[in-house]
Amino acid sequence: MTVRRASLQLVVCAFAIYAAAANAQTKPDVRLPLKDKSVKFAAIGDSGTGERDQYQIAKQMDAYHKAVNFDFVIMLGDNIYGGHEPPDFERKFEIPYKPLLDAGVKFYASLGNHDDPKLEPLYKPFNMNGERYYTFKKGDIQFFALDSNYMDAEQLTWLEQNLRSSKAQWKICFFHHPLYNEGKMHGPDLDLRNQLSPLLKIYGVNLVFSGHEHAYERLKPVDNIYYFIQGDSGKLARHDFHRSDQMAASFDRARTFMIVEVVGDTLYFQTISQDGETVDSGGLSRQAATVKAASLGK
Amino acid sequence: MASFAQAPPPPGSNDAKVVADFEQRAKQYLDWREKTVGKTPSPVNSPEKIVAARHDLANKVRVGRAGAKQGEVFSSEIADYFRREIAATLNGHHGKQIRSSLRHSEPTEMELQVNQSYPEKVALQSTPPTLLLNLPELPNGLEYRILGRELVLRDSDANIIVDYVPNALPDIAK
Repeated sequence: MTVRRASLQLVVCAFAIYAAAANAQTKPDVRLPLKDKSVKFAAIGDSGTGERDQYQIAKQMDAYHKAVNFDFVIMLGDNIYGGHEPPDFERKFEIPYKPLLDAGVKFYASLGNHDDPKLEPLYKPFNMNGERYYTFKKGDIQFFALDSNYMDAEQLTWLEQNLRSSKAQWKICFFHHPLYNEGKMHGPDLDLRNQLSPLLKIYGVNLVFSGHEHAYERLKPVDNIYYFIQGDSGKLARHDFHRSDQMAASFDRARTFMIVEVVGDTLYFQTISQDGETVDSGGLSRQAATVKAASLGK
Repeated sequence: MASFAQAPPPPGSNDAKVVADFEQRAKQYLDWREKTVGKTPSPVNSPEKIVAARHDLANKVRVGRAGAKQGEVFSSEIADYFRREIAATLNGHHGKQIRSSLRHSEPTEMELQVNQSYPEKVALQSTPPTLLLNLPELPNGLEYRILGRELVLRDSDANIIVDYVPNALPDIAK
């Protein structure tokens, strides 16, 4: 079979999946305030399967984008499962999110354990500028995309320097492995927590998004920091939670994505399933830092 | 500013000499690679170009290092040093959490060969940060990876296994 014919079959197959996914409910039930000059974005995690469920989520994202007009999407890792040949980038990213990409929505990726830590940062549509970890600003928010697979001294030093110098009102970190979670599949990464959480606390990080656990979970604040786990935009692990007082909300019956709007000191969020059902929503107030870095002599 | 790297072995000690020798070998590998095949390309839109550049780089490394054997970068002395450091870290203050992280990191086992590509479809096992902080720092382009009980030195640009330490980790299931 020629490469061209194989590629054509891949595209036809992908569009067939996309068309099938269109059957899901697509009328958006928006619960964000949609204020002028707010920062609006979406979040997906563990998305890159290239399978029907990913396409169904992508279809919902497109419908919500038309209603909400979010500017960008953060990716919480496992952006491309399996092989990393050119057709994988097409089937697992370019085709499902084509309407969003065509509309000018930017994607900012972080690396999961199924991602290639060298190829993906070089892939321009992931906006990683060739780096495993990086930072960017949107309005009053500074985002820190981390590589939780390989948290070496260099990355920790970089994070400390950048958190310390940030003047942003909101500091949001996103990375693949959750520091806290009640999932049965993976659970929290305790050693990563040992190294990262003191920095997040000292330098006033407000919110952390992670993936890896194939379900949705919102935790009660830990050390005054909000934690979301959103590892089910492609993969799903049903009935994936231990009961816990730590959990504020959870969902593991279908795949989800999130939309977020930051208006001044409030961050509004809405979590939407592949069927268009809103499974969680609310507003979170920006916290005052629990510990002043200056008081610790940092 | 916090310093995250752990204290190196005392200057003049045998361990310090062994670590310095390892760092020199790692640097020599990278110097050779950059001289032979050039530096990493800039980000582009085309996955074809990125993947082709990776394959080209990996092929040049394989040809240039044909006949390379396990132990060329990880000498037996440094391998022993790594085994001791890793065992001490796993039995140290954060040992329980590190073992937990290792068990949850989707451990993979495969037969290793120097100059072999790390299989694209196999997840990269995450490396516990505290363990990384206790190992000698590597120059950009090289990284440590854990595969089952082996410690791998991986050329991250070429996705090539440069060398490995067999049985670097104790059996964490015990």
